[in-house]
Amino acid sequence: MAKLIKSNFQLPLVITLLILGLFVFVPMISAFEYSIRTPAKGGYGWDSYLWAIREEEFVYYIIRSTWLAGVTVLITLFILVPTLTWIHLSNSKARGLIDGLSLLPLVIPVVAFAVGAQISFPEFVKNTVLELPFLYFVLALPYAYRALDIGLSAIPLKTITEAARSAGANWLRTITSVIIPVIRGSVMATIALTFALSLGEFTLTVLLHWDTFPTWVTYVAQENILGAIAISMMSLILPFLLLTIITLFVPERSTQGRK
Amino acid sequence: MSSKSLTLSGVSKRFGNVTALDNFNLEVGVGELVALLGPSGCGKTTALRVVAGLEHQDKGTVLVAEKNISDVPAHKRNMGMVFQAYSLFPNLTVEENVAFGLQMRKVNKLVRLKKAHQLLDLVGLDSQSKRFTHQLSGGQQQRVALARALAFEPEILLLDEPLSALDAQVRVNLREEIRRLQLSLGTTTLFVTHDQEEAMSISDRVGVMNEGVLEQMDTPEALYNKPASAFVAGFVGTMNRIPAQIADGMVEIFGSKVVALKRGNESGQVVALIRPESISVIANSSQPNAKVLTRSFMGASSNIICQTGDGTIVQSLMTSASTGDLHPGSSVQLHVLSSEVLVANV
Repeated sequence: MAKLIKSNFQLPLVITLLILGLFVFVPMISAFEYSIRTPAKGGYGWDSYLWAIREEEFVYYIIRSTWLAGVTVLITLFILVPTLTWIHLSNSKARGLIDGLSLLPLVIPVVAFAVGAQISFPEFVKNTVLELPFLYFVLALPYAYRALDIGLSAIPLKTITEAARSAGANWLRTITSVIIPVIRGSVMATIALTFALSLGEFTLTVLLHWDTFPTWVTYVAQENILGAIAISMMSLILPFLLLTIITLFVPERSTQGRK
Repeated sequence: MSSKSLTLSGVSKRFGNVTALDNFNLEVGVGELVALLGPSGCGKTTALRVVAGLEHQDKGTVLVAEKNISDVPAHKRNMGMVFQAYSLFPNLTVEENVAFGLQMRKVNKLVRLKKAHQLLDLVGLDSQSKRFTHQLSGGQQQRVALARALAFEPEILLLDEPLSALDAQVRVNLREEIRRLQLSLGTTTLFVTHDQEEAMSISDRVGVMNEGVLEQMDTPEALYNKPASAFVAGFVGTMNRIPAQIADGMVEIFGSKVVALKRGNESGQVVALIRPESISVIANSSQPNAKVLTRSFMGASSNIICQTGDGTIVQSLMTSASTGDLHPGSSVQLHVLSSEVLVANV
């Protein structure tokens, strides 16, 4: 038994987890502790949470941010999966260039990006909140691109694509029935990254004068900081639940063909 | 059976500066197994990919049962294809892989699974139908790939070096299995390989390719015994190249005159092309003309390597029983057994 524990006990892993825990969980627990204080009465209570739930806008903004994030995920997959598949299959010399371009959103300040959008976009685009998912897509591009790129690099893409086509699958079926299921792990990572980034995006949204969940929380914080923290704590649960559901809903199949 | 004939006429394909196929012509009859054999870069795989619709030819036409399919996309060609390796879908089970082509043809699930099991039974893997492909050995994976390619009853079966990634013993077993299945299903098959033994052992006809053109298309026996060019002679089987002089249509080899079979305008100094089994090595001769360098025992036969007085290395294949007196260093007499030999320019 002692031998078993010893062989499974990996010191570097434990240290990494401890450090991660320090930076992730300690602030979260502190925030939670702060949010359940009741300064008026002293001690602890659920006052802030009850206040937050009673706020009508809470649900409104949660739903609004969720569907905007959902649309962003769809746009991302719809654009990136076929594009990256094509880039990998064509063996194009432009691949390095496209790799580099996909990193640009990391170095362009969001302010410049927002101002540029405000100046250049036509009125009918600026008048709809649907401009946000397209801009979120650009912000998520460096992460989504890399997550899918890794997945496509790890599989014999050319051969399985050709096998699917010669077995009678057109391009759409090849992508939906073969490529996406085979790189399922990467697709899930892309969904998670894009969803989380869209859900929490603040700067761009504020600069373009839209209200979403994060901007509303900031607004609330100006009047009721404990209530804002309570709202944030509750909002953590939503993406967590959604991602868990997605992971459970897509049935676990074989590993990604790695041997 | 929906098997059809296949015709390629005047097909050319270039990749940048490289000519992969140059006015390439090929005919495969209904139910026939034809192999394309050649060194790497000879264009054999390109020919197969043009037939599959995975490459588009620059010129020429592809006909299946006289119908021009040159511009039909790959997924509508109804051709089963087996690739070198790693072509199975890792997210699907073995039976789902085999049923994939039928699923794409919108065949109802019960019917397609039944068909998948039939095919898996044919390749001896029905017991593995619920497993994932990474749980199978390389040979089993290629069997599944074969079942998948045959499940939707393709008009043509295309095999792109399906055995090259496998171990020697598995290769031999699987190639015989491919032939057995192909014969029993009667599927017109085009098989691409660089391994001459593979091509010769299971094909009705073999096409030897070199630099984008078909050098010779014939039965394995005819290719071996009557090669149409020096390239074919050298590529198919082992061939001795012995310098000789043509005079009056005859060449003198090891002191005896034999008829020279020309394939072109060979004259003067030429090389005679002679199979190892057409040369016998005689020990204890009164007129020795060579020395034995090595003798390799291979069971029923032995391989004798000799060197003639002018330094030419000659290989002979003889029954082991007749090589008892041949030892490295012993003086021997070489003798050509055939009455005619193929000659080529030096």
